[in-house]
Amino acid sequence: MSALGGAAGGSEGFSSPIGVGVGVLLILVSLGMAYYFGQMATVIALIGIIVGGLLIGFGVHFVPVGGAPAAMGQSPGIATGVAMLAAGAGLAGLFGGAWAAEFGFAIALAAGAVGGALMMAITCFMVNVVYIFAMGVPSASGKVDKDPITGDTFPEYKSQGTEGHGLPFVSYVGGVVGGMMGGLGGTLIYIELLYVYEGVLPVMLDAGVEEIMPLAVSLAGIFAIGMFLVNAVIAAYNIGGTIEGPHDPKFARWPRAVIGAAVASAVCGIAAIMLVMV
Amino acid sequence: MENILFGIGITAVAGALATIAGAAEDTESDIGSQGDPNSQVQLAPQMGFIHRIYNKAISGEPPAYGLWCAIGAGVAWAFMAVQVNAILAIILGSLVATLVQGAYATTAYLGRTASLANFEQPVYIDLIRSVTTVTMAHAFVAIFTTVAMCYLMNTALGHPFPLPLLALVWGIALGAAGSATGNPFYGKERQYQEQPFGAGVSISASGTIVRYGEAGQRSSLDNGWFTSKMGGPASGICFGLIVFFELWRTVIFEHMAGGWGAVIVGVVLIFIFMALDRYIEVWARKTFGPYAKPEEAEATA
Repeated sequence: MSALGGAAGGSEGFSSPIGVGVGVLLILVSLGMAYYFGQMATVIALIGIIVGGLLIGFGVHFVPVGGAPAAMGQSPGIATGVAMLAAGAGLAGLFGGAWAAEFGFAIALAAGAVGGALMMAITCFMVNVVYIFAMGVPSASGKVDKDPITGDTFPEYKSQGTEGHGLPFVSYVGGVVGGMMGGLGGTLIYIELLYVYEGVLPVMLDAGVEEIMPLAVSLAGIFAIGMFLVNAVIAAYNIGGTIEGPHDPKFARWPRAVIGAAVASAVCGIAAIMLVMV
Repeated sequence: MENILFGIGITAVAGALATIAGAAEDTESDIGSQGDPNSQVQLAPQMGFIHRIYNKAISGEPPAYGLWCAIGAGVAWAFMAVQVNAILAIILGSLVATLVQGAYATTAYLGRTASLANFEQPVYIDLIRSVTTVTMAHAFVAIFTTVAMCYLMNTALGHPFPLPLLALVWGIALGAAGSATGNPFYGKERQYQEQPFGAGVSISASGTIVRYGEAGQRSSLDNGWFTSKMGGPASGICFGLIVFFELWRTVIFEHMAGGWGAVIVGVVLIFIFMALDRYIEVWARKTFGPYAKPEEAEATA
């Protein structure tokens, strides 16, 4: 029950079968349109975009975000917004992935994943530097009594009147995994769109591949950033404010965000493809 | 070899620019109170504490900086397209973006503060005059350095993204790194300066922000003076490290191990930072010690 007497918000799993049904229908329609206007390669590209969106939506749940309470040392996590931080990490990954695109599919994806993970590794480290050396508080989770990775105990390290503070090691690892998945997903979307544009734009504009590359790269980059933000915001709404990482009970809500991210990616993806197909 | 040396030089300059950008971004957001701790600035009048702190948090720092840096880079790009010198073009672009930031800051302060009229929080016209210009100055530094860094990535290092797109990506990352690192220092150590050091702010103390300085009421400019001692530099180091290592591992190791060199070095760096984080976490537990004995903590939990 919520404070207003209604059903508790943010329950785990799929709360609406009709919603899931409409979502699946939208995905199928998008795939059908991709096949109708393009060919099998376009369908595969759209599937890649959907998988990229899934990775982003799932990955955001790993990122330990404490919001405003964390900024006062009232709760653990990074003192900023979920979508904000995930976008920062994922786009840093996209930067690396796009740079490595010339080396092939696998290296570009790995570069994107590592770029996002490295951004989060450095950010989480500096966040703990500030918590420890500027605020003088040790890490203490508010959701579990023991760190699942290191076995550190937390209750005695929480200062009075708070839910914990700092960034425990399990949250640090969660942040790195979240950044990795965000960078991987963003790069996958970028590369799939780039393949589509590289194939279609030369015919459409009657120009060589070299000539259309700046346009293809720009379009794919803008759509990848846009889709990243769409999926990050969907996941942020699903989380509902703050999350400590994979050990937080809110983490169990991820299936609903993954469905939402898949539908949003399918619809945004087909729009990005239709831009050059119709 | 010359190419690698050139790349290392560009990487170092880009890292230095990013460090300045991070420090300026955090100081700007603290003076303007745009980060998460602004929830307390908004809450204080509702608890009866009227204050003279600026209040412009109508957007998170990442999208705001994504917008301003993209505007700066877009205008600079347009000037460069008509053969204006690159440095002059980036300065002009950053100026235009700073004007947009100024309009954003003014309207945000007026809107957010006017919404507190029911709680008798006044809109201080002198604050608009004195604080807005200081946030604009810091924003100019952050935008100029970010756009200049992106220009180097695009022109000297050959990143495929066009300049405005690069500025959007790195503007968002700048806001994310700056807000993540700098917010706790502004929130806990400045707004709740009266609370004891070495502990979080008790939830029951929410809204009771410090409003008076050494002489009279505290202004947001005092907050910038304070956070530039730790939150700003820490944010700068954070963003500088991100940019430097991202470029360094790519420039030096990209062509090694069949293209996997930069990826492998990236993984090694992640594990190094992970080990450093664990080291300081354990150090803090040992040095600060528990607030309560384990059995007492379990009894009260």
